[in-house]
This record gives sequence, structure tokens and C-alpha cells, in this order.
Amino acid sequence: MKGSSIVMERQSPVHLPGNPGKTKLRDHWPVVLEYADEGPGPWIVDLSHCHRWDIQGRDLAAEAAPGISLPDAPGAVTLPGKMLTGRTGQRQAFLWVFDDKAAAPAGECWTEVTEGTFCLALLGRNVFQITEKLTSLDLGDPKRNAPYLLLGPFSHVTGQMVVLSKDPRNAVVLVAGTRGFAHDMVHAVLAAGEEFGLRPAGESRFLEKFKSLPRPDVPEKTRSAARKTAASDKPKSSGRTRSKIRIGPK
Amino acid sequence: MNRLKNLPTLRIDAERVLSFTYRGKTCQGLEGDTVATALYANGVRVFGRSLKYHRPRGLYSLDGECSNTMMEVDGVPNVRAEATVLASGMTVKPQNIKGSPEFDLMGFMDGLSWAMPAGFYYRVFHKPARIWPAAIKQIRQAAGLGTLSPDFRMKGRFDEIYPAAEVCVIGGGPAGMAAALAAAEQGLRVILLESRPWLGGAFEYRTTADSSGTALFESARELARKVERTAGIRIFTHAPVVGVYTDGQVTAVQRGGADQSFDERYIEIRARSVVAATGCIERPLLFENNERPGIMQTECALRLARTWGILPGSEAVFSIGHDQGLEAAIDLCDLGLKVAVVADTREDGQDALLLDALAQRRIPFLKGWVAQKAHGSRQISSATLSSLNGHFNRELPCDLLVASAGLTPVTGPLTLAEAKLSYDSRTGFFLPNELPAWLYAAGRLLGLAHFEAIAASGRLAGLRAAQRCGAEAAAGIRDCESRLKELPGPVRGSKFVSAPRAGKKAFVCFDEDTTLKNVDQAMDMGFDVPELIKRFTSAGTGPGQGGIPGHNLPLYVNQSGSSPDSQPRPTLTRPPLVPTLMAAYAGAGHAMAKRTPLHELQKADGGRMETVGDWKRARRFSDDVRCRAEITNVRTNVGLLDASTLGKFRLFGPDALKALQRVYVSDMSRMHAGKAKYSAMCNDDGCLTDDGVIVQTGESEYYFTTSTGRAGVTSEWIRYHTRFDNWDFSLVNLTDAYGVINIAGPNARAVLSKVTPAAVDNEAFPYMGYREFDVGGVAVRALRLGFVGELSYELHVPSSWMAGVWGVLTEAGREFGIRNFGLEAQNALRLDKGHIIIGSESEQRTTLHDLGLGFLWHRHKPEARTVGDGALRHTEKQSGRLKLVGLKMEDASAQPPGDGSPIVDKRIRGYVCTARYSVALKEPVGMALVEEGLAAEGSRLAIYEDGCEGRLIYAKVAKKPFYDPEGERLRS
Repeated sequence: MKGSSIVMERQSPVHLPGNPGKTKLRDHWPVVLEYADEGPGPWIVDLSHCHRWDIQGRDLAAEAAPGISLPDAPGAVTLPGKMLTGRTGQRQAFLWVFDDKAAAPAGECWTEVTEGTFCLALLGRNVFQITEKLTSLDLGDPKRNAPYLLLGPFSHVTGQMVVLSKDPRNAVVLVAGTRGFAHDMVHAVLAAGEEFGLRPAGESRFLEKFKSLPRPDVPEKTRSAARKTAASDKPKSSGRTRSKIRIGPK
Repeated sequence: MNRLKNLPTLRIDAERVLSFTYRGKTCQGLEGDTVATALYANGVRVFGRSLKYHRPRGLYSLDGECSNTMMEVDGVPNVRAEATVLASGMTVKPQNIKGSPEFDLMGFMDGLSWAMPAGFYYRVFHKPARIWPAAIKQIRQAAGLGTLSPDFRMKGRFDEIYPAAEVCVIGGGPAGMAAALAAAEQGLRVILLESRPWLGGAFEYRTTADSSGTALFESARELARKVERTAGIRIFTHAPVVGVYTDGQVTAVQRGGADQSFDERYIEIRARSVVAATGCIERPLLFENNERPGIMQTECALRLARTWGILPGSEAVFSIGHDQGLEAAIDLCDLGLKVAVVADTREDGQDALLLDALAQRRIPFLKGWVAQKAHGSRQISSATLSSLNGHFNRELPCDLLVASAGLTPVTGPLTLAEAKLSYDSRTGFFLPNELPAWLYAAGRLLGLAHFEAIAASGRLAGLRAAQRCGAEAAAGIRDCESRLKELPGPVRGSKFVSAPRAGKKAFVCFDEDTTLKNVDQAMDMGFDVPELIKRFTSAGTGPGQGGIPGHNLPLYVNQSGSSPDSQPRPTLTRPPLVPTLMAAYAGAGHAMAKRTPLHELQKADGGRMETVGDWKRARRFSDDVRCRAEITNVRTNVGLLDASTLGKFRLFGPDALKALQRVYVSDMSRMHAGKAKYSAMCNDDGCLTDDGVIVQTGESEYYFTTSTGRAGVTSEWIRYHTRFDNWDFSLVNLTDAYGVINIAGPNARAVLSKVTPAAVDNEAFPYMGYREFDVGGVAVRALRLGFVGELSYELHVPSSWMAGVWGVLTEAGREFGIRNFGLEAQNALRLDKGHIIIGSESEQRTTLHDLGLGFLWHRHKPEARTVGDGALRHTEKQSGRLKLVGLKMEDASAQPPGDGSPIVDKRIRGYVCTARYSVALKEPVGMALVEEGLAAEGSRLAIYEDGCEGRLIYAKVAKKPFYDPEGERLRS
């Protein structure tokens, strides 16, 4: 606003200690790319600014946007490009986007939930020693191949946990939950990680690890559904005016 | 005291001396000592006084199975000194004494035992009834061990951990270690829990050779090293199991130390298979004065010497019932203890080699003899032994009486897991005869005594546990079963319980000072089942968690012939199996409360934050608990409230409207563009469960709000009540996605119009309208509502923008003196309007009609099968129901009555829900639920406030709303 002294910037629900070394303003989010002294790890990274979407519907494969492959089975995760999709149930899945240039998915079945959740990444060594102090879920289950999704308690509140790498020296675990719990969740994670030297790191640390992850095969069924969606008409519009709500300033 | 040196079994470091304080005096112990062993090494023999009779008590078992050695350590009462590792600088004090442990002024209570027979708690002091209040005060002061101030704050580092494993092994003796190795060989993850600070179990300190000629302790330590080297086994020592639950859930509490990140931590494991290899403890021998300081069990005496280098006495008498007792006498004699005699309750069956060893050392041996009485007031000075038939006896001087009836299995984890136990007459043990599918038993607790047999049974249990987890272990199991058949099986155990003519001070429970005489008294009164006798005499209900009375009680009761059961049955065990700090159960204890996006700003503005449900919220913004300035500001100017906790949902899909019709009582098809609809949800009884506003944002899309308290269950509620319909709709919880700013007061529009280009005048944006526009450049959803009874806008702002938008509004409102208002002010403001808060003015008995909200219900949509519809129809005209009414005090200058105060005449006729002083009306107002007969306007209500001592206050039923009844202000 003209003449206003208020700095209009978005605020993450996550506040990590430490000295942000390199930051960037992206879509009004001040994003920490790197902290001054990240150390050898393990690390905690705030990814709350990354766009996150919920998709619900009877036929998710048909509803999915072009280029976005949704996994078929609950608990499964795919990593299309700089994105991550996970299946939470028969008619629900989610999309997390780590590419600031990606277009938002369109369609009634998509709801952006970035604002309502926090998202953290735990990277490096001793990650599972930290997480076993916070959840009774078996994140390191030897019978599962990463990536996979678990839903359940994390520091005694419900969360989504995505295990991207189980390498004990180079693990990658993402934790997302209700925004309101972010402050106390971060406090609990930092306390659990203190004995292992857990420190904050910037987005760059995560993206570097994310890029190096092997990509699981996308099931043929999902690929063909995605191709079908790309070839079909755009989602039908309603006769009535749909909400024009948009996020962000003009 | 000089310590024994150069013993290969020692676990102390003689070079590292630790200083600590006991009763104000500096003492010294060694690294590796427990508090109890350090005190014993410093000559302490009386550690405390017993609960009821204030009898002196000392070291008995060394594993903390009774409260004898519970002491205050660093300000924390009831610390088990036997299980607590000594740390430098500790301050240790005895408990339950007046004076000193040796000279306790309350010691005279021992002479009054005749006045405290079994069950006297239940039978005395209640007639005449008037003496009970005085008596209970005295009993409470006298009872209990340790004292705790209400201001006490537990210090220390507490944590929690949930390690994952396929197999969990309870017990780190040879059986447990063998089980862990067997399961880990199959590629499974194994957790091994051991209550002592090291592995080895009952063999850890024994120098007797096994069949290969290797000393038992060396075999145990070799096995321990192998376990420690095995990658798939995680070992938690100093971690006694406290609970075992269904489906393989095991909990333990681990003691840490200065070199660890915790002092105590809670461990919770969910394993697919569990192996219980918990071994045995010694069954106490029951005789007169069997708990005097100087009397201890076999393993206690031997471990004092072998593990901590402390010779337990100078001249000892042994009264035992098992070969381990003979072994201990021989070993301790070799270490320098003078053994006057060994009395064995067994007439035969002793290991011949051990008898030879006794003879070689010229230790007199009496078969079929037992300790009958211990002499000495504060400590044992002599012991009388008796033949089992009671005809012969001898008194011998001693400062140590090693007494044990034999071994008994540690069955606590098995009974918690609901295993069925039955008495085995050969071993004298309660053996498991029915285990849950996921639980396997091994080792000494099955009656085995031979080292190799114990290890083999452990291996077998480990392989079976692994097989259950999917491992290919059939061949290994067969081999193990064959091997086990070749090894010695369960040994004959002792069934001996009490000496002949045991006397009136033969204690079956040290914690509760329960004697055999008390048990006899209970049986004479008709109690014939150990479970009832346990509770009537309180035997086994003390802080030792039943460790000492354990199996003696059911064995004794069965011997008496009073029990209807032909075989003894063990009493129930409940968690925790060992005394556990509440702080340990709380673990890391991180408070997990939700914060709104404005939390820090609210605090910075002076908000007094409170936990309300899941959330932290600002109750008020000044020291004035009545919030008069906040209220006046809203009524006359403009205020800002953080209402972010409201539930918010997006509902969409072809059948979205059907879902709304099912859960909301109104006709949801009658919605208009740009207008919000207020409605309510009821349960099947027609009782109000939630209310909120709904806005249609697309053809098949809605945005609706719920109360804060119901936000977490709304999705389940709607799904549950539509679960059979196969409707196509989706629901997204956006509660945290939007913060909510309520700007309220006559100047609200003036402030808002400064920050948005949208038209917000009454014509463009009327009451109950819904608009979407920008505030400070941020897109918001705006509702015109009137909960507090003034012109008011509810702005739903994307959470990450909340601080910015709040700042914009604050800046714009500065010229008006805009200020915050909190929950308390909101409460008082809405009360003026008679607006209800669910849970404050509603409860489980109140339908929509009772609350005056029947107008919301649309009765003509039967196809929707709205939840609560039937009940609303049925109760609409039902008489005899509570009704919500407004009230004003007869004396306008009186204080408002307390919330919850009953409304009375000859009986309770209702209660005050909420009452506050109305700043606008300058008198107290409130709402109450009253019986129908009192609901008419003008009815007089007599109110009984807590502490009024019969002085009632009076109000009259008044019409609601009290303030602006026509609603002109909120519609302006």
C-alpha cells in the first residue's frame, strides 16, 4: 500500500535458529537458500514456502494435471521432475512442488494447502535416530523401498512423513503437518536432534539432495492416464461464477 | 570400609572416588556403586523405617523389589537406592523417620501392631462417623513414604524413544542373549532390554564352573560380548520393562547418566514377536523378624561381594532352599566371610559337589532346618534355627543372616501380556501354559538351571520368534528342540514358604508391613482368594509393586486350605512393573499447542496467552480481568480480534449439497450469491454440536466455518454421516490455511475502507454478506457477521499474509485508537446479545429448541435425512426439558454469579451457564439453563454460589438480547 510502513512479506510458520547466509525473496516469501554455518549435518530445512496441493476425487488418474503422475497405491510416492506426489487414500493424493517456476495445477479437484501446512526436511546422517524419538512409525522399515509415505503421529500430532532416502549417512525425510503446530513441532525436532548436532540448512541443501535421488518407475496405468488428461479438454467450467480468490497481492 | 580387590567380577573402579552427602555428612563411594552399595560400604545398615510400624529396614534384595531402601535423593523422594547409580555430589536422605534411622521416635508404633489388624483401615475410625475427619487427617500425615511439596518441580532430562524392531527380548541373561542372537542371525532387527546396567543376568557374578569348566561369569560375559558385536541387536541396559500390552507392545524406562543426553527416558516398542527371558528372583523366607537389617537374600549377599567388593558381614548364618544358596555360602566363605552354619529347608536333592565343598571348608550343614527367628532390635545379632518339625532349635550369633526360600520366576511381563500361568509342583514355579501367539518364554523362568540348557531354550525362543516374523527357521528350531532334550531339564524347586510357628512378625510384604498373622486374620474373616486377601491386607500393593510378597502370598493361602482353588494361583500384576517417575512417562514432554499466525504479535501487544483446546489464544490484553477497556473500545470505537482458530472447510463435488443437507439442519439449497447462511449441526439426539456460516463459492463448491472446538472432527463427522450413500464429494480442511481477523465496532467500516478499494458500505456489503476483495493488496474472503453485537467484518486471510494484513489494519486504525480485544472481552460482548457458545450454553441434554435456535431447523426436507431431524421433531413440544434463558440480577449493583452456579429451590432446578458484568448496560447479565417451569420471563431464580454457605442471591429471567435487541448496530 502507498504510504504504508508495513512490509508486506509472507511469513513461514517455521522459525529456525541460526544465521541466514543467503536469502531470496520469491513470490513474497523470504526463502533462506543457505545458512552461515550449516556444519556437517544432520540438517533441518524449512520448505513451508514450497507449494503444496491436495487433490481429491473419484478418478484421480483422470483428474491429474498433465505431466503429473499420481501413484496408484496408498503410501506410494512418485518424483516427477522437481515435484513429489503421494497417495494418501483411494480418492486423495497430494502434490508438493519444489520448482518455483512450475505452473499451478488447474481443476476443481485441486486445493492449494500451502498456507495450511508446514513442511520440513530432515537430511543427512542420524536422521532416523532423530525421528525415532519423535514417532513410533517405522520410518526405516527394511521391507520398504524409498520413496514412500507414512501418515501418523509425529511428536504426538498427525503428520505426513515421506521417506525419500534411507541411506543412514544421507537420509532424506520430509515431514508435513498442520501449520498451527509448526512452532512446537520445530522445537521438538530441534530438541530431539540436539544430541546429534542437528542444524538448520537452506533450501539449496535440500534441492541438491533431491536432485540426486533415484526416481521410482511410474506405473504404466498412471502414465497413460496422465497422457489421456493432457490430450483431453480442459476441466469443464461451471455455469455460476467460481470463487475468484487468489493468493498474493496484485 | 575396605573393599575386596582384584576380583574379576567387580564392576567398580577403585581409582575413581565419588563424594556424596548422607544426612549432612560427606561420604565416599566408588564409580560403579549404586547409592545403596555406597551407603552399605560406609557402614549404613538401617536405611529407613517401614510404613506402618516404623521398623528398621536395610538391604535385602539389591534389585529394589521392596521399599526398604527407598530414599530421598537430590530432593526426589522414593528413589530406589539399589537401582540408582551413584553420582558425585548426590544428597541422600532416609525417609519416614523422626530422629534418625537408628533411633526413630515413631518406633513405638511397632508395639501397637495389635491395634492395626488386617483391614483395620476399613473397619476402624468410621464409627462414630464424626471421628473420621479427624482420623483421616492423622492417618494421612503418618502414612506414606517420602514427602513432596505441591510446588515441587522435577528436575532432570527426560526423553522418549520409539525404536523399531521385529523381535523384542526382555532380559539380558544367557537365555535372552541367546534369543537375541538367534533372531538377529535370521536378519531381523532385535531389541534387547536389560534392567541392570550390564548383560549377564544371574550368571554375571558367579564363579562356579559350567560343564566345560568355564566360570559362569566368563561364559556370560563372552556371550555378552558376542551380542554387543552383533549389528542387528540394539541393547538397552539399565532399562527395566514397565509394561507389556497387546500385540507386542513393550514399554520400558531407561536410566541415563552424565555421559548421555537423558537422565531417564521412556522406551516404547511395537515388536512382531517378544521373548520373555526375565529369569528368577528369590522367594523370601518367612520367619519371625524376617526383615531386620542384616538379613538379606542370597544374590544380594553374593553380589555385594562379587560385583561391588563389599563383604556383606563378618559372621553369617545361611538359611536357604536351593543350590545357589550353597554356592553363595561357599564363595563368600572363600572371600573371607565366616559362615557359622548353612541350614537347608530341603531334606535331600542337594548338589553333591556343593556339599563336598561345604565339608571341605568345615561349614556345618543342617538338612531340613530353617531360620525361625531373627534377634536384635535395630540389626540382627543372632538367629534361631529350627528343624522343620519345630522340635529342635539352636540360636547362633551373627551379623548377617542370608535367607531365601528358593527361586521364583519373574512372571510380571507374562501376566501383563495375559499369559495363563499354572502351578508346577516339581519346580514350585508358576509356569506359563498358555501364551499369546506373539510371546515366547525362555530360560530360568521355565525352571531351568543348567547354563547350556538356559542358553538353548533362549535360542529356541529366539528362532520361534523369528519364524513368526517370516524367517525360515524351521530347521534351526528342530535342531534346537533336539539339543534341548539332551540337556538337563527343569530342576526340582523348593515349595517351602514359612518357618514353623512363624510368629506375629513374619512379614509377607515389607512395603505395607503385612504379616502372616494379618493374612491369617483375613482368612479367618472369610477372605479365601489371594486377590481379595491382597487388597484387604494391602500385601503387594506398595511401591515395590508386589516384588516381595509376589508368589508367597498365593502359596501360603493355598497351603492354608482356605482357598477354593486346589492349585495356587498368582495374583494379578499391573503396570508399571517397577516404580516409575511420572516425568519418565511424560518423556520429552513437549507441549504441542497450535499457534495462530498472529501469536507473536498478540504477545508483543500484551496478550495474556492461555491454552484453549488445541490452541494458544489471548484471553485479554491488560491486567483487568474484566477487560472493561477492551469491551468499551469495541462498543464505542473499533477493536481487532484474532479469530484464526475457527474451523474452515472447502466442500466440493457433484454431491456437495447433499452432504450439507445431511449435516446442517437448515435448507442449504436456499443459498444466495454473496450471502452467508448461518446454520447448525445436531447429533442424533437433536442436540447442538456445532454452528457456523456457509457460503456458496461455485456451482458445487462451498466454503464453511465451524466452531474452534469442532474443527478437528468435522471431516470425520460429515464422512461418518454419509458413509452409506456413496456420494461424490470432497472435503478439505482449511482451518490453518486462513487466519481470521475480526474487526468490530462503530468505526470498523471507517478503518476497513482505508485499506481496501472495495465498497464496504452497508448497501454494497450488507449484514450477512460475503465478499472477496483485497486488503493491503492481499486477496481476502470477508463476511459481515455480528457475534459481538456491533458492526463487524470477519476477514479470512491466507495465513502467511496475516501479520502483514494485521499490520495494515493496525496502521489504518491508529487514528481511531484501534486496539486488540481478547477472548474474555468477546465472551462478555456476545453475552450482551444472548449469542451462545457451544459447550458454554449448550450441553448434551439441550436440543436446538431448548436453546431457542429452533428457527434454524427446516422441517420439510425429509429426503435429506438430516442428522437429528427425528429427534427435533419428537422433542419440539416435549415438556420437562431444560430451557436457555437470559437473566439479570435483582440487585443491579451485585456481582455476577459464578459460571456453573446451581439454581435452586428445594432441589437443583438448573444452573448459570455464563454471567458477566455488562459494560454497556452497567449491570450483570447472564444466561442459564433452567427447568421449563422457571423459564417464563420474570421468574425469580435463586442462585447458590460456591462457598456462599446458604446465602442465596437472586436474579430474574429476562428477555434476550439484552443489548440492542433490534440489532440496529450490527446491521448498520
